[in-house]
Amino acid sequence: MGIKKISKDGFSGLIEGLIAETTVIGVQSKGDKFVYDLLGSSANLRLDYDVTILPPKKYFLQPAEILLRFDGEKYEAEFDDEEFVLVGVHPYDMIAINQIDKLYSEDNFDSHYMRRRENATVIACDVARASENVFASSMGTATVSEGFDILLTDIGDFYVAESATDKGEKLLGKAEGVSTAEDEDLKAREKIQEENKKNLNKHKLGCKPSELPGLLEKAYNHPIWEELGKKCFSCGSCNQVCPTCYCFNVQDEVNWDLKSGTRKRVWDGCLLDGFTKVAGGHEFRKSRADRIKHRIYRKGKYVPEKIGGEIACVGCGRCVGACLTDIANPVKIYNRLIEDIGIGK
Amino acid sequence: MGKPRVAIFDFACCEGCQLQIVNLEEEILDLTGAFDVVEWREAMSEQSDEYDIAIVEGSITRPEDEERVKNIRRRAKILIALGACATIGGINKLKNNFELGEVKEYVYGKDSEKPHLDTAKTKAVGEVVKVDYKVHGCPIDRDEFTYILRCILLGKEPEIPEWPVCVECKAKGNVCVWEYGQVCLGPITRAGCGARCPSSGFRCYGCRGYIDNPNVEAAKEVIEKYNLDIKDLKAKMKLFGSGYEPTKK
Ligand code: SF4
Ligand code: SF4
Ligand code: SF4
Ligand code: SF4
Ligand code: SF4
Repeated sequence: MGIKKISKDGFSGLIEGLIAETTVIGVQSKGDKFVYDLLGSSANLRLDYDVTILPPKKYFLQPAEILLRFDGEKYEAEFDDEEFVLVGVHPYDMIAINQIDKLYSEDNFDSHYMRRRENATVIACDVARASENVFASSMGTATVSEGFDILLTDIGDFYVAESATDKGEKLLGKAEGVSTAEDEDLKAREKIQEENKKNLNKHKLGCKPSELPGLLEKAYNHPIWEELGKKCFSCGSCNQVCPTCYCFNVQDEVNWDLKSGTRKRVWDGCLLDGFTKVAGGHEFRKSRADRIKHRIYRKGKYVPEKIGGEIACVGCGRCVGACLTDIANPVKIYNRLIEDIGIGK
Repeated sequence: MGKPRVAIFDFACCEGCQLQIVNLEEEILDLTGAFDVVEWREAMSEQSDEYDIAIVEGSITRPEDEERVKNIRRRAKILIALGACATIGGINKLKNNFELGEVKEYVYGKDSEKPHLDTAKTKAVGEVVKVDYKVHGCPIDRDEFTYILRCILLGKEPEIPEWPVCVECKAKGNVCVWEYGQVCLGPITRAGCGARCPSSGFRCYGCRGYIDNPNVEAAKEVIEKYNLDIKDLKAKMKLFGSGYEPTKK
């Protein structure tokens, strides 16, 4: 599809038009932080943000959602069929969504997630300001080439706007202030993207992401897991803020007639005490050390093995800031392992 | 089988948790439809010696209360501890940090020697008799209370979170109040309240009690990281986390 440019006024007009006709969710400020929330005016949109408290995943895999209703005899799946536009998704978060798309469309098709995914129009944007803990450059996730409908890059008075789908193309077609992206505009965009590939790197990974599964292969018995376990609250904060965590827990809630009710799912996390309980109350992988290890292996080895090698940490840095005891930073853990056991062989 | 008979009793507490039951509004009809409430001082005058389920609010603070709750336990098939005072001793346990004579004098002044003001160390209901179900919180969460009752009717074990408040707090997208210098007990306190306090910008003061396996050592690290005083943490933990013995300095 095409690459155009759109004036900032034109883009604001486009957003206002969308707000008038559909649900628009966009990045906005909350104190000195940023969040995704329902957008009431294009003036509140903050595409210059650094990182949001929670990733946009929450609009596809909601923190708590009803999957189905039952009445004692039959049950009926419940779907959310509202179309919506999601504005401001950063490349690393887009890549995280692309990964979950794969996981939820392949072996275990998740119709609730996929339905929302289809109902969404995603306007992504290149990062304009590095957050305190981002390390997307290390993970190869500082820029993105697919998954969005439109990708914006702020080049001053204009955005370069790349549409990747029919939806995106149509949307841009409706907007005012759209013109051909000239060579210099494309160069300006390339410059920003090249810089992001280097500068979104507050924690530098000491190897290539593709070397991580091999590194972990040799690290099962490393003392680091016990060391970190001692400092871990099992508070799950690192899971809850992570764009690539996709675990949930299913619960039935029965009404007072003791027959009808709802089946809900809520976010779960591998760091939580109770996560590993399976039916019958048998609990495996119990210690904090084992749970931390599981999280790191999940991101660096198990999920990559399922989705074709991509590392399931996109370097957003959210877990780094969310962990009260400063132990969740994946780069620190990987670098320590590299130092102690080395990469290769 | 008829409807299970329920009796509600209170010990040392503010009765705030019973008030939550009174405030159930429409759901109170569902409740009285499913159970026969045979004794409830707060809402009715009848008294009964026959019941299947005893709901006990409040902490045990006097020798005669120990006898009374043991008696209740003997009659009930199921005993539910209602609210922090009952589940963990709640605020009443603060008193265990002091010498009892001192506490009495402080509260009652020169009347403190009168016999009806006799007092003992505070115990949670579970420290005196076996408790089958706990409804955590100060006050309780109404939805959790009715959920537990429905689970009892269905004969199924209620799922009460074993994880800390941070889980619910993070899922809500809150900014952590530690960042604003507040000593929040969320990481060691049992979730289930929907992170009520941090969601309104206040620290969690631990009213649902600790999780089964709290990492207090890690909490000390956090105090250091934010350059706060360990005394702050200890003081905060005393409010709902005091034990039978005085909290160590
Ligand atoms: S592991 Fe941490 S840095 Fe990596 S994607 Fe998850 S939250 Fe972001
Ligand atoms: S690593 Fe940190 S954020 Fe994750 S569960 Fe442990 S203490 Fe919480
Ligand atoms: S737990 Fe709190 S609200 Fe309930 S009775 Fe005790 S003090 Fe009152
Ligand atoms: S505010 Fe309290 S409950 Fe919320 S994340 Fe921070 S420590 Fe946890
Ligand atoms: S946040 Fe903490 S203090 Fe507040 S209701 Fe929940 S458990 Fe109680």
